[in-house]
Amino acid sequence: MDQTLNRTKLLDQVYFNAIRDEKFKSNRISIHLLTTLSEDTAAQNAVVPAILRKGYAGCPDFTELNRKLARLYGAMLDADVRKIGDYQIINLSIQSLDDRFTMENEAVVKECCELLCGLLLDPKTVDGAFDPTDVELEKKYLIASIQAEINEKRSYAINRCLEIMCAGSPAGIGRYGSEAKAQEITPQSAFAAYERLIRSSQIEIIFCGSGDPAPAKELFQTAFAKVERAPQALPEMEMLPASEKVKRETDELDVTQAKMVLGFTADVGRDRAALAAARMMVAVYGGTPFSRLFLNVREKLSLCYYCAARFDRAKGTMMVDCGIEDQNRQKAYDEILRQLDVMKEGGFTDEEFDAAKLSMQNSFENIGDSLAGLESWYLGQIITGEYRSPKEETEQILAVSREAVVAAAQKVRLDTVYYLTGKGGSDHE
Amino acid sequence: MSNRQIVKNARLGESYTKIEHTSGLTLLLYPLEGYSSAYALFGTDFGSINSTFKTAPDAPFSTVPAGIAHFLEHKMFEKEDGDAFAKYAKTGASANAFTSFDKTCYLFSCSQNFEASLEILLDLVTRPYFTQESVEKEQGIIGQEIRMYDDSPDWRVLFNMLESLYKNHPVKIDIAGTVESIAEITADTLYSCYNTFYNLRNMVLAIAGNFDIDTVLRCCDKILKPAPDFQVENAPVDEPRDILEKRHVQKLDVATPLFSIGFKEEPDDAAHFMRGDLLSEIILDAVAGESSKTYRELYDAGLINQTFGTEVFSGDGYLTSIFAGESEDPDEVYKRLCAAIAAMKETGLPKEDFERSKRCVYGRYVRAFESVEVLCSAMITAHFGGCGIYDIVEMIADMTYEEAAARFAQMLCEEYGTISIVNTTGE
Repeated sequence: MDQTLNRTKLLDQVYFNAIRDEKFKSNRISIHLLTTLSEDTAAQNAVVPAILRKGYAGCPDFTELNRKLARLYGAMLDADVRKIGDYQIINLSIQSLDDRFTMENEAVVKECCELLCGLLLDPKTVDGAFDPTDVELEKKYLIASIQAEINEKRSYAINRCLEIMCAGSPAGIGRYGSEAKAQEITPQSAFAAYERLIRSSQIEIIFCGSGDPAPAKELFQTAFAKVERAPQALPEMEMLPASEKVKRETDELDVTQAKMVLGFTADVGRDRAALAAARMMVAVYGGTPFSRLFLNVREKLSLCYYCAARFDRAKGTMMVDCGIEDQNRQKAYDEILRQLDVMKEGGFTDEEFDAAKLSMQNSFENIGDSLAGLESWYLGQIITGEYRSPKEETEQILAVSREAVVAAAQKVRLDTVYYLTGKGGSDHE
Repeated sequence: MSNRQIVKNARLGESYTKIEHTSGLTLLLYPLEGYSSAYALFGTDFGSINSTFKTAPDAPFSTVPAGIAHFLEHKMFEKEDGDAFAKYAKTGASANAFTSFDKTCYLFSCSQNFEASLEILLDLVTRPYFTQESVEKEQGIIGQEIRMYDDSPDWRVLFNMLESLYKNHPVKIDIAGTVESIAEITADTLYSCYNTFYNLRNMVLAIAGNFDIDTVLRCCDKILKPAPDFQVENAPVDEPRDILEKRHVQKLDVATPLFSIGFKEEPDDAAHFMRGDLLSEIILDAVAGESSKTYRELYDAGLINQTFGTEVFSGDGYLTSIFAGESEDPDEVYKRLCAAIAAMKETGLPKEDFERSKRCVYGRYVRAFESVEVLCSAMITAHFGGCGIYDIVEMIADMTYEEAAARFAQMLCEEYGTISIVNTTGE
């Protein structure tokens, strides 16, 4: 199976995407509503999938719905919100066994598709809005989710750094929006957000698995034909520009281990070769357990358990993060920047370069072995208007030269230093 | 000659090969068509709970520092001729390792250079090299890992629960040990544990995905040497059924309090371990899974959110039924859960709920066969649990309501239950 994307337009800005591979035992069908993040709508949009997940006109009872899913061999129905760069993506997905592997040869795929269509397009309403009981509860949970981001200190620190880096642009807004805006949610406002999403967002349906996507496509086509649409084209995502001055911020929380996050701009456009070079640069610098950061900050200086760099293709940024003892703050900071200088001077070995390449090739080639991996790969492709397979991207990576990696490193600029420390911690740099 | 057996399953229309290699190692080989990657998982039956043992029938029991299995895992990557990650770097494989309560596993996943990567894995696990200097360096890194977990509410809420439930069983101690306990580790204690537990007869290698069986055998023949007899005896733990504490609270910065409710159960004997676990999994889903009445009541009352879930937590000498999640009022969740269980005990486990949960668990395990990672991990769990991977699917398919009902009657007793909470007040 070549796992290429088979993309069909169902309506203006509504697409059905199929990736078929018979080696899988299940199918994963997902619907993604794409919209630009905005302070005013982010929280209103974010509550929508959770409310839809509670039931629909054809099966209004939450427990009945969950029983249906359990009988469909524990079909996993997920409602979530993702964020890629400037975009907020509201999604509903369902994954279950392909009909071939059921105990009594049941039509699981068809039922899953019908369920997903029902949940998205036929919500249960009370007086022209969402059910107030559902809204009240899901609003409460959304607020709790926003507050809960503080629990995972590593991701919390990265998000805080991103927020500071991208202040004023959509990418600086959290995927769930703000707590203050979430407080304003009412059954009417959430339903209005739902109607707006259905009417104007870009809609991507992705069918990924071993089953035949044709009946699913037909089902979605029929269902969407009844929907009134006035789609708005998504504005193209802009890369984060290099800033004049390094922003520095420190938060204090009740933690024993401090977290440091360094945000950089990579000054990379949409050129495929330049993007691949930036990816390679980040891999050599801090993307693997044999990268410069891992070998020096962790192994050689024994300063931390993790120190890694990651690249965000959507906004052209690189984040480096580590968890350290407060007293090692300056040492770790210096070493992270010193290793970046090594990258800029081309001071990495051919071995390191080849290893990073092999490692990236390996991770791209592994994508096709999982349904969730394939789905998120192609969603990322769709968003940037490219429809390449992981295989094509591998070829691009293999073509990157040492010189291109050095050039990519030289474009990197430190933008933000975020530090999270225990209460009463130090404040030096 | 290695003993080779092809294991088939009609339900899935698939098969794998089980080989008892001349070295003593068990190989579970599951080639899959259409996959780009191969995933290899090399496990040893040695985890954080194996801290007191003897190596000969007439030898005394000796105890090693807490966290040594995990420490050993870290140190296995270091060799005289360099770090194993550096070797994997040349093949492109993505490698890692992990230590749990009852096993240590080394793994890699690759889409090319399978043979070279497998050689690295076999060499890595069979050739220890520890120096006092490298042990000291590792104490710094693992010290940071332990500190990271000290701040993790999920981790703390689990261990505080285990500490309330278990008086003597080492399952109550953090897998990584403590900063103090790992300070006692030396190169000598590492060698002693290695020589005891990293015996190929106590280990298993599971591989799934894109590879061929002859390559594996060639590598094994080349690298593995016949292992001596394995005669380790883990010290039996005298663990009473009663518990230490009914409620434990820890203060940490969290948005919504976290809770973990645990019911200490009578562990199954080795012969019934797997079946018992699967039955419990179905029962817990029926009692408080998403399609249960209990879940609905708690959700509608605003007491639980989507993080709520159930887990069968088990191993040699311990079995706990866990209900965990986030709540503004964990004590109320506990109270209502106990009331729901008591009501179900009156009427018995509803048959319809059992049937539904059984299908749910069945689907979960069949889906495992499409992921090379999940498949290898399930093969190893099944192997250490005394059965094969297909046995699990078949066991679920023929589980009866009667056995589930009988087990349910013995489970989830309030007097053996505890609640662990992490919140911002510590009260």
